[in-house]
Parts: sequence; structure tokens; C-alpha cells
Amino acid sequence: MKTEALVFGLVGVFGLVMAPIYGHFTHWEEPVGSVGLFLAAGLGFMVAFYFWLTGARIGYRPDDNPLGEIAEQEGEYGDFTPHSWWPLWLGLTSSIMFLGLAVGWWVFAIGAFFGVFALVGWVFERYKGQYAL
Amino acid sequence: MSSITDNPAMLRTAERVEHPRLAPGTTFVKWVTTTDHKVIGNLYFITSFVWFLLGGLMALFIRLELFEPGMQILDDKQQFNQLFTMHGTIMLLLFATPLFAGFANALMPLQIGAPDVAFPRLNMFAYWLYLFGGLIAAFGFLTPKGAAAFGWFAYAPLSNSVFSPGVGGDLWVFGLALGGFGTILGGVNFITTIVCMRAPGMTMFRMPVFTWTILITSILIILIFPPLAAALFALGADRRFGAEVFEPANGGPILWQHLFWFFGHPEVYVIALPFFGIISEVLPVFSRKPIFGYKTLVFATIAIAALSVSVWAHHMYVTGQILLPFFSIMTMAIAVPTGVKFFNWVGTMWGGHLVFSTPMIWALGFLVTFLFGGLTGVILASPALDFSLSDSYFVVAHFHYVVFGTVVFAMFAGFYFWWPKFTGRMLDETLGKIHFVLLFVGFHMTFLIQHWVGVDGMPRRYADYLPEDGFTLANQVSTVGAFILGSSMLPFMYNVWKTWKYAPLVETDDPWGYGASLEWATSCPPPRHNFNSIPRIRSERPAFDLHHPEAAPASIRAAAQPTPVGKA
Repeated sequence: MKTEALVFGLVGVFGLVMAPIYGHFTHWEEPVGSVGLFLAAGLGFMVAFYFWLTGARIGYRPDDNPLGEIAEQEGEYGDFTPHSWWPLWLGLTSSIMFLGLAVGWWVFAIGAFFGVFALVGWVFERYKGQYAL
Repeated sequence: MSSITDNPAMLRTAERVEHPRLAPGTTFVKWVTTTDHKVIGNLYFITSFVWFLLGGLMALFIRLELFEPGMQILDDKQQFNQLFTMHGTIMLLLFATPLFAGFANALMPLQIGAPDVAFPRLNMFAYWLYLFGGLIAAFGFLTPKGAAAFGWFAYAPLSNSVFSPGVGGDLWVFGLALGGFGTILGGVNFITTIVCMRAPGMTMFRMPVFTWTILITSILIILIFPPLAAALFALGADRRFGAEVFEPANGGPILWQHLFWFFGHPEVYVIALPFFGIISEVLPVFSRKPIFGYKTLVFATIAIAALSVSVWAHHMYVTGQILLPFFSIMTMAIAVPTGVKFFNWVGTMWGGHLVFSTPMIWALGFLVTFLFGGLTGVILASPALDFSLSDSYFVVAHFHYVVFGTVVFAMFAGFYFWWPKFTGRMLDETLGKIHFVLLFVGFHMTFLIQHWVGVDGMPRRYADYLPEDGFTLANQVSTVGAFILGSSMLPFMYNVWKTWKYAPLVETDDPWGYGASLEWATSCPPPRHNFNSIPRIRSERPAFDLHHPEAAPASIRAAAQPTPVGKA
């Protein structure tokens, strides 16, 4: 995962270089730009560090091997929900909550109430039924 | 010209195909509960295209009102404000940004040889947030005081509850915040998919350029949409709960502009980079050459994305409160990697065997239109020129050339190119060319003349002008152009309907004959988990190597058999 870490590392380096330049010439009086750029650097380095750590931990991946063979990826690949109602219910209830922020707290409360059920349903969807894990 | 697609041997005739059409209710349930990235991609395409048509309709009303001096079409100028605000909001955040998610969903997993995206349910959740967020934002039109009318960049203090009362503005703020979360979740999903789910042999520097642009765009999204969410929540707190974040007494107007444009400028690249990627996929196929300078294209994309995060305040030259030299230099510096990309695209076509199929024509239309927009961009990057041109129709012309040039031209290039992959049927070439000519002529007629109107001093966002201003003729030309542009949607929609009803199904994996990336190595449309078999990947164009082994690397030629995979 070296290239992936490098790409995010570039984001970090860029932020770390630009933020002091911008901050210095604005005399650190304008907060958005320097804070934003420093946070961008933090995000880049954090993800790069995680990728580097993960790459060191899991070792060889056929994805990164220029001579990788498709058959190297045999066996258990992952777990993909074939279809699901829960994204709709969770999306609907979170939308009602946001609508409530614009319209009134009572709408927000309705959304939050049903949102709990949607969230529980989403999390525990695969605990029972035909596709249980 | 496109002899491959006209060859009847490669296309199945319609009579021989069984149509196992599902009952309408079954289809509906299948679509709303889907976790298949291809179906979600189609949902994004359909929804964003509907928003595109609605935003276009608003633009036609704006152009009609500006046809001649006086107020003829709209009741009052507040309606005009609502129209241009929602036109901008819809086109940027409800059409172009989700269209990126549509193309990314429909193609990126295919291009890296993955069975789906990393988080299929999150993917669908992101779509619902986008749809409902958009509906909430546009719902303002149905409220008594109408939709938001403070411009799509909602400058403080105009956007606060004193100057813009009414629930329409609140709906706009929270609807967009909701949609923004959908975009962030989509971006995270795409990054994880690209990092974790590439097929063996698909190293990072063998990914198609389009997939690279999806990765870079997603990184931009996770950098800039959180600041937008923060800014919108602060604005919402000001409007609804009496906070005073953007009060003029606290320096709020400049704070809002910084926060908004820290999001707003990279957002332009969020909606540009993926469409550069589409062009980079179309040009090599119809030039019969590999892409010229693959790695330079990738690094130019990274450079554009990085620079775009440090140019936000070039939208704020006229505030007089920003670091002019810094933003001017950085803005002009962006022209360098963009120029590198043009060099690569021209280099791809140079000496190639050009085939002028519909996708190629749209890609050429993109090159011309976007080049104009890029050149006026360098003009506007100069503070001395920007001071007199800012907030004039010159700027309107500039960003329509940039954004329409990339998003719409590249969108149609992508639609005509990948329609067989999405639906299993080829769009009609002749209708596609009529569509292109109408749209190209209409677009340039509408917007080219606006450069001069702007230089002559017509300000943007005014509902009216005086006969003595001398803008009448130019505005009439522009309005006529806008209607030609609008009429170009008719042949396209007829084309879609005709193709759906009557076009034969595509029998081969690669109807264009020279497709490069992995999506052309599976059927049209692909099976549920995308591949029955994946070819060995030894270059950045595995499908081309598979179909043209005589031109492939030696290791492919030695064993020109696709490797079967186990059940996905």
C-alpha cells in the first residue's frame, strides 16, 4: 500500500508547506485559511500513516504485485448485502431530522424517534434471517 | 465511420431477445432496496439528469426575462433572485456533484475489477441523503415566501434571518448540509474501494485515468465538504437559533466568504476532475492509441487538486481584505498542470487514427469549450483585470465555459460512450450528432457574447436593464441561443426512448472494438457481481490486451487465456 500512503502523504506535505506560507503573509490574522490547510495536512498524514501501518501489518497483496494472478484472490472475498431496506429508512429518518432543524423541533423529534429504529435495524440486519453471518 | 458498431454480426437483433420484464411493483422494490453499485449509479444518473432539466428550465426563465428591458415574464425581481439562486444551487450541488457519484458508481468498480464497492449499504444511504437533501432544498419553492434568494454562495449578512426571512432559506441551508453528508460518505466509499478492492495485478499505476480522477476527487471531497457542513450549520444556527457567527460586527461576512470559498473553489475541481477522466478514457479509444503520458496525467491531476485547495480567495479579490499576490500566483499556477493535461490529450490524438464517433465528437467539443474557459480564467486571475470584471457577465460567461464545458460535454461523451455498458444497447449515432450540433451552437451562442456584455459593464444577477444601456441585442442573441441549447435535449431524450424500445442488444463485451480498461472485458450490461472472468492484468489497458493480443505485452501473448475466478 505504498502508493496509497504516498498519495495521502502528498496531501499532508502540501498542507504543511502552504499553511505557514499563507499564515506568515497574512500575519496569522485570517483564521480560516491557515487552520484549514493545517487540518488538511493532519488529514493527509493521518490517512497516510494508517495506510503505511496497515501495509506493514498485512504484508503482500496481489493488488500491488505487477505480476499478480487473478487466482491469487481465491476464497472468501468479502461480505456484500444483496439488498437492503435500511438505507432507505435511515436516509428518510435523518432527512426528517434535518428538515426538523429548519422547520421545528417537533419534526426533529419524530425523525429522531424513528431514526433509532432505523439505526438498530441497519446495525443488526445481518444477525438473523436468510443472509445471517 | 464507426464500422464496428454498424456491423450486424456483432449485434443481436431485437426479435430474438426474450424480455423478462418484471412487474412494476417488483422493479420499484428492487430499485429502492438495491445495494448494487450499477443500479445505484443509474439512480444517480436519472436523479441528477432530472435536476439538470429543472435547473435548465430555470435558466430559460432567466434568459426570457432578460430578453428585453422591463419585467415581462416574472412577477417581481425577488422571483428572479430565487431563480438564479436555485439554478446555481441545483447545477452545482444537485446535478454536477452527484453526476460524479453516478459515473464513479457505474464505472469505477468495473475498471478496477471489483465485484462491488466497499460499503454497498453506505452507498445507497449516500444516494438517499442526496435525493432527500435536494428535495428539502428545492422544497422552498412551495413555501409562502419562496425559495432561497441570496445567491448560491449565500453571502452574509444577506443570508441571515433579517435580510432573508422565510423558511425557504432555512430549508436551503439544512437540505444542502444533508446532501453534503451524502457526498462525504460517497467519497469515503470510493477511496476505500480503490485502495482495498483492486484485482490482482491492477497496481495503482495501472488504474485507468478515470479511476485515478475518482480517487483524487474523493480526497478533495473529504477535505472540503466538512468545512461546508460547518459553515452551513453555523449559518443555520444564526438563522434559526439566534447565534451570531456571521454578524457583521464580528467580521462575519469575510469569515463566511473564506469558509464558503474554502469549499467552493475546490468544489469546481470536484466537478471538473472526474470529467477530465471521462475525456481521458474516450480520446484513446477513438484515436486508436494508448493515452499519451499516463503518469504525467496522473500527477497533473494530483497537482490540480492540491493547488485548488490554496486558491479559494480569488473569488474575494474585490473584498480588498485578502492576500492578493498569493492567490493570484497560485491561481495562475493551476494553468500549468491543466495545460499539461491539454498537452496529453492533444498528444493522444496526434498521429492517431481518429474515428469521429459520437463520444469522440463530444470530447472534442469539451476540448474547445473548456479551453475558452481556461483562457478567461487566467484573465480573471489577474487582480487588476478582475477588479473591473468581477460580478459582471464576463464572469458568468467564464464559469459557464468552464463548468458547462467540462460537466455537460464530458457527461454526454460518457453517456454515448458507456451507454452500451450501462444498458446493453447502443445510442443512435445520427441523433447523437444532431444533439451535439444543436447543443454546441446553442451553448456558444448563449455564452460567447456574454463576455462582451460583461466587459461593457452589465452586472450579473440583475433582473433588468435599461434600453439606453445598449445590452438589448446581445441579450436577445443570448436568449435565442439558450433556447437552441434547451431544444438539444429533445433529440437526446428521443434517442434514449428509441434506444430503449428498438435498439438491438449488444452481443460483445466491447462494441467500440478498442476499449482499454476492464469494463470492456465483461458483458453489456455486466452481471450482478461484474465479472464472470477477469483477464490477466499486465498493463494499464487489460481489456485491449485481451482483445488484441498481437499488440499486448509478452506475458499476455504467452498465455492469451482469461483466468477464471471462483464465485464472487
